[in-house]
Amino acid sequence: MYYYIVYRCIKNNQMSVKAVSCDELIAGYEFPRATYELTALLVSKYLKAVDGAGDGFVPPMAITACAIAAITKSFSPPAGTVVIHASQELEFFKLVPIGATIECHARVAQKITRGRMSMLILELEIVDQSKEKVQSGRATIALPS
Amino acid sequence: MLTDIREGRVLNPVVRHITQEKINLYAEASGDFNPIHVDESFARKTPLGGTIAHGMLNLAYVSEMMTSAFGRNWLAEGKLRARFKEPARPGDTLTISGKIDCVEQKDDVSYAICSFECRNQKGEMIVTGETTVKLSKDEKHDRK
Repeated sequence: MYYYIVYRCIKNNQMSVKAVSCDELIAGYEFPRATYELTALLVSKYLKAVDGAGDGFVPPMAITACAIAAITKSFSPPAGTVVIHASQELEFFKLVPIGATIECHARVAQKITRGRMSMLILELEIVDQSKEKVQSGRATIALPS
Repeated sequence: MLTDIREGRVLNPVVRHITQEKINLYAEASGDFNPIHVDESFARKTPLGGTIAHGMLNLAYVSEMMTSAFGRNWLAEGKLRARFKEPARPGDTLTISGKIDCVEQKDDVSYAICSFECRNQKGEMIVTGETTVKLSKDEKHDRK
């Protein structure tokens, strides 16, 4: 059975959609880059959602959330099944001001299939408009195979 | 922010109540509309039996605790490793707690190594993990 990841790339209010089959999600697969402008509105929405207080910078977890969402938001697993975020590693490298633009890179580092489940280990790297590293990390995601 | 950074120092906990409204707000803010978070009829039919909060929402609360303790040192140069044990659900009250396990010196730089956990009102472990924060040279800290 195939299912699809629809990857949404947002840049300058334009959106492009690319679908890949789950079989393409093998070690080394690189997701298309996603670019986000971290506007005051986006940060404000995020802070409201997490009951957070702003301090003039983009909360690092807001940046991670963009990267994670860009990868997982359009998974279409078989009916009645779910995609689970199992673990997360992160490293922050710099403060990011509101209004900055970030670029998210993600690749499949490893795919482990056991029975009817697969574990995807994804490597993330996020850079700013100067191509300086903002964050890096690894996410483990469990999904039905 | 903490004024005494030392081994065993307990971080100020963060307590947050999870509601479906908050989960929906988080989905809007993050763009993650996975139906297990926002579609109650879909979620009821899955083995999870209902909607769950985004894992990254739980980590946002962990980050809040760390920001409160270490300020920009956390925001600019923090490291985190988290394992999601159980889902947080609407109606849950989460308590995020942590402590400094040790202060390490490496290449003339000090790091606070912390452990944290997030539990619901029943005491069930939702998230557990470790964080590392690089400390400023002028910050008071003691390895004991």
